[in-house]
Amino acid sequence: MKFLTSNFLKCSVQDCDRSNDNFPLKFDGEKCQLEQDEGLEFNPEFLLRIIDRVDWPAIVSVASDLGNTTLPPTKPEFANEELSEEDMIILRDLHTLLIQTNIVEGQMMCRNCGHIYYIKNSIPNLLLPPHLA
Amino acid sequence: MLPTPHVSCDYDKVYEPSEDSFLLLDALEKDRAFLTQFLGSQGVNLVCEVGCGSGIVTTFMMQNNIPSKYSIYVPTDVNPWALESTVGTVQRNECGQRFFSPVRTNLVHSIREQEIDLLVFNPPYVPAETVPAVPQDWELDPTKVASEQRPDDWLDLALLGGDDGMVVTWQLLNNLDSFLSAKGVAYILFCARNKPLDVVKHMQEQGWQSELVEHRKAGWEVLSIYRFHR
Repeated sequence: MKFLTSNFLKCSVQDCDRSNDNFPLKFDGEKCQLEQDEGLEFNPEFLLRIIDRVDWPAIVSVASDLGNTTLPPTKPEFANEELSEEDMIILRDLHTLLIQTNIVEGQMMCRNCGHIYYIKNSIPNLLLPPHLA
Repeated sequence: MLPTPHVSCDYDKVYEPSEDSFLLLDALEKDRAFLTQFLGSQGVNLVCEVGCGSGIVTTFMMQNNIPSKYSIYVPTDVNPWALESTVGTVQRNECGQRFFSPVRTNLVHSIREQEIDLLVFNPPYVPAETVPAVPQDWELDPTKVASEQRPDDWLDLALLGGDDGMVVTWQLLNNLDSFLSAKGVAYILFCARNKPLDVVKHMQEQGWQSELVEHRKAGWEVLSIYRFHR
C-alpha cells in the first residue's frame, strides 16, 4: 500500500468507530518493508491538492512509526502564487514519502482494540475474522 | 467511444467482465462531464470501486481521468484473487502515473467515514436464498490451507445477493451518508429483479437525488445504473 493510503484507512471493527483511536492505524516499523516506486512522476499541483486534503497529524504519526521523524508538526502552507525553490524541495520530499513510498510487507494495529492487520504483496488486508465481523 | 481496457485473469476465481461491467463503463463515460462539474475541479477526489473484481472499471477510470486527473484510486474487494487481478489489469493498461492502492476489505468498512467522493459498485445482484459467507482463507484462519478452498466460493460471492439480490446493496445504500463525502456521488448497478424503482423511491424519501444514467437489455436481464447524491 502507498503511504498516502494510510490517511484513509481505519480499523474495521465497528465498535472502534466510537473511539478516536481507530485512526491512524499504528504501523510496526520493524516489520514493515518499504519500497520506492520511482516511476511515479513528481506533479506539484497534485501534491498541493493532496496536502490540502490530508489529515496532517496522521501523516506525521505514520511517518514516525516508519522511522521518519523529520516532518513538521503542523501542515506546511504554500503561497497561492509562485512556488519558491524552498516550497519545491518540501513538495518533492512529500512526493517521495506520500506517493512513491510503498509498504510492501508489514503490519499495523488499531490503537483502540489492538487488532493487527497484515500487509502482503503491497495489499493491506482489513478483513476481520468471523468472530469480529 | 473510449477504449475498453485489456483484461486477462483467472475467471475460475474472479468475475469475468460481462454486460454489467460494460454498462458501468458506458455510464461513467456518459457522465464524464457531469462528474467533473459535480465534484469540482479544485481538490483531489477519492475514488473507491467496491468489489473491483478483474479491475476493468477502476482501470477504465484511471485511463480516462474519471472523475479528474487529480484522483486517488483505492478499490476494494474481499477476494484476494480479485485484488491481484486488479493490480495486473492496471499494469497491463499503462496507467502507471495514476495514484492506485487497492485494499482488501468488506464493502468500504475500513475506509474512513465521509471521505469517498466517487463510489462505484457492481454488486452481487442475483436473487438467492442467502448471501454466501466470505470463504475463510489461510490469512484469516491459519488452520486452513489454500487447497481446501473452492474457487467457486469466490464467484458465488461476486454474484449472489440474497433476497431480491439486494442484501449487499442495501448494506451500502443504508450507510451511504457515512461512506460518501458531503459532495460525494455513488454509481450502482441493478438488475430488474432488484426492483430498482422501489429502491429509488425509498432513497428519494431519504432525501437522495437518484437518477437513471444507463439501462440495457442483456440477454434475459434488464440492467440499469443509477447515481445517488445529496
